[in-house]
Amino acid sequence: MGWRYPAGRFAEYAAVLGVALTLNFALPRALPGGPLKLFGSPEALARLTADERAQIATQYGFGKPLPEQFLDYLTGVFTLDLGTSLSDGRPVTETLGEALPWTLLLVGTSIVVTALVGVTLGVVGALRRREGKGSGLLSTAIVLDSLPQFWLGMLLIVLFGVQLQWLPTFGVSGVEGVTVQGVLLHLILPVSTLTLTGMGYLFLYTRSSLLTVLTSEPIQHAHARGVPYGRLVRRHALRPALLPVHTILMMEIGFLAAGSIVVETVFAYPGLGRLTFGAISARDYPLMQGAFLVLTLLVVLMNALADATYPLLDPRARR
Amino acid sequence: MMLLRSPRRRLLGVQGLIGTGILTVVLGVALFGLALPDDAGRARVAEPYAPPGGGLPLGADDLGRNLLDQLIVGAGTSLSLAFIVAAATTLLAALVGGAAGIGPRWLSATLMRGTDIMLVLPELILYILAAAFLGQSFGMRVAILALILWPVPARVLRAAVLTAWSRGHLEVARAMGAPRWWLLLRHGSYLIGPLLIPVFVRTAMRAVIYDATLSFLGLGDPTAPSWGTTLYWVQTNGVFLSDAWLWWALPPGTAISLTVLALALIGTAVEERLNPALREAAR
Repeated sequence: MGWRYPAGRFAEYAAVLGVALTLNFALPRALPGGPLKLFGSPEALARLTADERAQIATQYGFGKPLPEQFLDYLTGVFTLDLGTSLSDGRPVTETLGEALPWTLLLVGTSIVVTALVGVTLGVVGALRRREGKGSGLLSTAIVLDSLPQFWLGMLLIVLFGVQLQWLPTFGVSGVEGVTVQGVLLHLILPVSTLTLTGMGYLFLYTRSSLLTVLTSEPIQHAHARGVPYGRLVRRHALRPALLPVHTILMMEIGFLAAGSIVVETVFAYPGLGRLTFGAISARDYPLMQGAFLVLTLLVVLMNALADATYPLLDPRARR
Repeated sequence: MMLLRSPRRRLLGVQGLIGTGILTVVLGVALFGLALPDDAGRARVAEPYAPPGGGLPLGADDLGRNLLDQLIVGAGTSLSLAFIVAAATTLLAALVGGAAGIGPRWLSATLMRGTDIMLVLPELILYILAAAFLGQSFGMRVAILALILWPVPARVLRAAVLTAWSRGHLEVARAMGAPRWWLLLRHGSYLIGPLLIPVFVRTAMRAVIYDATLSFLGLGDPTAPSWGTTLYWVQTNGVFLSDAWLWWALPPGTAISLTVLALALIGTAVEERLNPALREAAR
């Protein structure tokens, strides 16, 4: 099926990328007290002599005019040079590279599970709306949607980790080292946290989208014509109802990626989020900046990917 | 006001009533918190890790600070932040959405492209990034949140303006040469105004969650007790391994969840009230 990615969308994602890079460049420089504050505690900075300050400023290029600094920053980003971490002196790119696969595993699994569970329950909720099951699901969704991720994570740890001792709650591997089984076992609670807090909105949206389609005139007409209800739902209602859900799913990507910061912190999961938390606690600004950049890029790229696949679902978008 | 004068008995339904009830309680606690001394929840009043008992119904944390006081003061922090952010965001969204709805084509196109770009960037990540670098004072957090949260409501309000625009009486008035901004304020506001309520409530809800998350990550204002900050110390001290989580973690966590739930219930109820089609479909 021949279709081409619309140039307009491409330009938009390029603009998003530009905004993300600019924010990442500008925010540290807007730091009250100047960018030098990035290089240590206030006490340590107070001890620096004027010469030392000037030296650091020259070394990191803070003395240069802003456009030139921005160019240097962009060059750094595109050559994968994001500076050195303040806490362990390693290149930021290296540290991020080690953490990235874990986050991809966590966020990727969560997106798939959230989409499957949320949409399925949404369809069930719409079809069973007159029975107890439908309204029970609805209240559950509203309650789950209100739980902050870190709080649900903590509750799951208390229940399954401390009280029942069924599931591991810490890291990605036990004493026996990294095994496939171990990694999957360690993935259960973090993925459940992200899925349970993320699927509420998806459920509500799917449910109301399908209900709107089911009460629309073409569907009611088909029903009146004698099309059996099951066939009506499967052949006529599901596809148009699920198209807008795709858009919501794209919004979920950002939600889940941001959630990884929180969830990885709660479960001590060694991904980008945990790294971000550590960098925040240690005031390790270069690492923080790098981790934020990668997380944002991840969201933008996944969004672009989801957007590019939309025409596969909707023939009207292939024109 | 239009809502209150309505002859219908069921203003908000059961959900809305429950939500309003919970929110009133939280608001009452927050107001009570104003009467507490300035160092409530911050001063050392007991032995570290003191269990509940004596004058401390919820015990004390690792620095001997009164956990009940932290809970009460936290209610004020959460609610005041949420309401200021919601007001600022709603105003911003109304300005952007309104301008994009009635403005000239170039303005509308520029604003909507800008909104689309902001929509792709993840809100929570931006919030943490900006707060980490710009500072975590109350005013700064409010400003950052308002600047991050406007795109979604702006889209909703622009769509509402465009829908109102196609109403017959507005088209007639437009044909008679009335200025667009006058039309929107004089004849469109009764269609669009009520929509500001769910926008306000939903924004307040997101502000509570995001700010609690920020404090939970250790980026809260260290000088002001808040629910998220209490849970940050829970996480750092590994309180979950002991019984202390019952009085240390459970109250603030429940408080955040209940506040957000109350706002969600009110939001859903108002939306159903405003959009009878939703209620039809839900039956």
